[in-house]
Amino acid sequence: MWNTIFPYFLSGVSVGGQYALIAIGYSMVYGILRLINFAHGDVFMVAGILMVYISASGVPLWICIPLVLVLTSLLGFIIERLAYKPLRTAPRMSIMISAIGVSYTLQNLVLYVTGGLNQFYPTIPWVSDSITIGSATTKIVTVVTPVLTLLLVYGLVMLINHTKVGMAMRAVSKDFETSQLMGININRVISITFVIGSFLAGIGSMLYFTNYTTVIQTSGAMPGLKAFVAAVFGGIGSIPGAVIGAFIIGICENIIKGLDIILLKSGLIAKPMGLATFSDAFTFALLIIILVVKPTGLFGEKTIDKV
Amino acid sequence: MADKILRIEDLTMQFGGVVAVDHFSMVINQGEIVALIGPNGAGKTTAFNAVTGVYTPTSGSVYLVEKNITGMRPDQITSLGIARTFQNIRLFSSMTVFENVLTAHHLRRTSNVFTATLRLNAAEEARMRKDTEELLKRVDLYEFKDEMATSLPYGKQRLLEIVRALATKPKLLLLDEPAAGMNPQETEELGEFIKRIRKEFDLSIFIIEHHMNLVMGISDRIYVIEFGKQIAEGVPEEIQNNPAVIDAYLGGGEDL
Amino acid sequence: MSNVDKKKFSTPQIISAAIILAFYVLVFIAEQTLAPTSMIFTVLKKGATYALVAVSMNLLNGFTGIFSLGQAGFMLIGAYVYAIFTIPLTQRAAVYQYYNGGIVQFTLPVFVAMIMSGLVAAFFAYLIGLPVLRLKSDYLAVATLGFAEIIRAIFQWDKIGPLTNGSNMLRLFPTFNDFNIKNSNGEVVIYLSTLVPLLISGVCIALILLLINSTFGRALRAMKDDEISAEAMGIHLASHKQLAFCISSFFTGVGGAMLAMYQTTVQAKSFTTAMTYEILLIVVIGGIGSVTGSCLSSFLFVACSEWWLRFLDQKQVIGEFEVPLLRNGFRLVVFSIIIMIVVLFFRQGIMGTRELPDLFRKKRSAAKKGA
Repeated sequence: MWNTIFPYFLSGVSVGGQYALIAIGYSMVYGILRLINFAHGDVFMVAGILMVYISASGVPLWICIPLVLVLTSLLGFIIERLAYKPLRTAPRMSIMISAIGVSYTLQNLVLYVTGGLNQFYPTIPWVSDSITIGSATTKIVTVVTPVLTLLLVYGLVMLINHTKVGMAMRAVSKDFETSQLMGININRVISITFVIGSFLAGIGSMLYFTNYTTVIQTSGAMPGLKAFVAAVFGGIGSIPGAVIGAFIIGICENIIKGLDIILLKSGLIAKPMGLATFSDAFTFALLIIILVVKPTGLFGEKTIDKV
Repeated sequence: MADKILRIEDLTMQFGGVVAVDHFSMVINQGEIVALIGPNGAGKTTAFNAVTGVYTPTSGSVYLVEKNITGMRPDQITSLGIARTFQNIRLFSSMTVFENVLTAHHLRRTSNVFTATLRLNAAEEARMRKDTEELLKRVDLYEFKDEMATSLPYGKQRLLEIVRALATKPKLLLLDEPAAGMNPQETEELGEFIKRIRKEFDLSIFIIEHHMNLVMGISDRIYVIEFGKQIAEGVPEEIQNNPAVIDAYLGGGEDL
Repeated sequence: MSNVDKKKFSTPQIISAAIILAFYVLVFIAEQTLAPTSMIFTVLKKGATYALVAVSMNLLNGFTGIFSLGQAGFMLIGAYVYAIFTIPLTQRAAVYQYYNGGIVQFTLPVFVAMIMSGLVAAFFAYLIGLPVLRLKSDYLAVATLGFAEIIRAIFQWDKIGPLTNGSNMLRLFPTFNDFNIKNSNGEVVIYLSTLVPLLISGVCIALILLLINSTFGRALRAMKDDEISAEAMGIHLASHKQLAFCISSFFTGVGGAMLAMYQTTVQAKSFTTAMTYEILLIVVIGGIGSVTGSCLSSFLFVACSEWWLRFLDQKQVIGEFEVPLLRNGFRLVVFSIIIMIVVLFFRQGIMGTRELPDLFRKKRSAAKKGA
């Protein structure tokens, strides 16, 4: 029984790590700006596209990888400056609409450039090689992802808790206005937040597209949404929470994909029920449940509004 | 013996470790103007919010004409007859002066969404508008009826908020610092206005205020609260000479 | 002297009504005279559909302040309900070929089916609203988006194929062309395929306008302005939010039925979040809080995407010189840029919060409505 579940569990852990790297970006930006950055998933997708085009133009991979990371971070920075900064004092809805607009724009730009054709991600040596663990045969990237994710998260948490920059970020999350009054350079903190979030999304995209090698303009939509759900599930503003949420979602969604087979093999059902269709829907059902039962998420904090 | 319009019994409001209101009790009789005074942060607005349902009391009860309204929703409490104004004016910013008061008539509607949409409620709509017109005329705000409510001068916005509350046909009106930001003349006119509406609308009035001239001038009784606890209760003369009150709040005869 | 109801209708309102009436008459005449395949009619039909959905979204997001992103889900429900109940019995075996003709073996008249579309959508809205409407605006947006995705997954599920045809298309149901009046030879005598959808849309939008200007409309606007204050004035937040949500979803469902009639096929996977985003952007461009704006913007959007800006997608060669940039997909890029410009620099949109009659009112001081 475990042998049947294990391959799905393993892919779940892997994709969970990739979602985690995206989820952190959502969590941090929401913590500081109270904005759901609808465009974040599309930044992840653009990182994938950049890698495809840059490596296809002959640049060797060991230059591509850092270059793509730099460009992705830059993209995040530019988006914040152009589309969000001007609306900081506008009503909440305006900035959310702007984020949706950016998402729409990025998808259309990529559609235009690629002509809507599937793009194929370059093969990164070693991580794309096969490996067999127990009953699962998979790519090495599946094992590398969770390890790399945890290392990066550890590094980030260290940054936030033990550096001046990190302290500034925590202050701005707690109280935006007072932080400004205390002399914190808000623009710098916000830009750094977006850069870190986009950088991590860039790494996430490299791991994700090494596994699911097709990239098109809609490739960022679902992972983005799921990563957001992970961030909410874990408690928006909490980085460990986002990571845990992401792993849970990744694992559950993959197990559901294999649920028909698992149930068949264990004799619980006689014929397939077509449950794989619901693997995406599961994530949203989880979102709704957590919003209704514990809106602050697993590790979030409650705030009381003063009247 | 007058009816007890409002009875607050042993009210406690606790937020985490902070006890904002501490076993507070008070009574308002029919037709009275009762003031609640005390230093900033003493728990006055919190008490208001507990009475109007914005907060649910941690313990204790609130009775409106002997009906237990503890823990009810704000709209339920308003429909039972308590209306309020806010410390930081909360007018409807996308609406005109007229629309602000007209909207407050929605509560006492008899139509439903279908009859209203299909305009089968023409008589009721006309009545609401007539009533709004009269309310605005009574406070000389009718000339501004098509102005955006938030474009009015501060003092007029406060008047508008009071008139909007009156549109819900309350028995008890709660005013949260209605004179804030007013100059002495406006404050005096406000005092006259409050006494007038008490009579014309058959109201009881519960007021939070820092302008001592106003408080002493119109109140029948005063409660004094500090750190969430009641420290004195009585008629204005008693309160003005109460050493505990002077110590905590009034200072040596200074007006705030 | 009361001048509150001095005149029944003001001059600007009469002018507006006259313009709208003239528009319908012109459409009717145009339909009888121009070629039925003319682009104008495509734009008018699709525009009518989008206008209804945009106005419904504006009612919810713009007037009541409930930032919902679930519109595609309700359109999907409306489209499916309509199709399921109007596919002619003789065609069912062909359409539901993998499901033995499907389990629904009766049909409803077209208008009844459209009303059903709205009612079923409103019913689902009610259920979804129960947990979701008390959430804060950003969470509500994602929760409604999530529900739309769940609905999309359910409608593609194999197991309910006998009802929905699973992931296969629904087709062969009555479309706009079936409104044309034919004679005994099957030739069209009176063309109504554009006028009728415009009328349906018009009636629905008129009802929404009536709602907005009623006491309930004021209550909804009050909730948007200040929930705490609205509640203190006796407005029950939960029930009024449900009201707005269900009514908006009813008309979104009807819009879905109209979309089915326009497209002539219905398939769950086409009702994506991108569809909701497009409607939202249409509402923003027209002006959040302006019904007129949503209508104008819908027609503009459809005209540009189906007709006027089509050239952006085609390669142009002038002499020997190929104009750079112009190829498939460029149109959408241009749209995106226009939208970002509107969102960043023209947040009021085309109409702000003004309606058609306001265009004919004399200029007033800046403090009055519409500035």
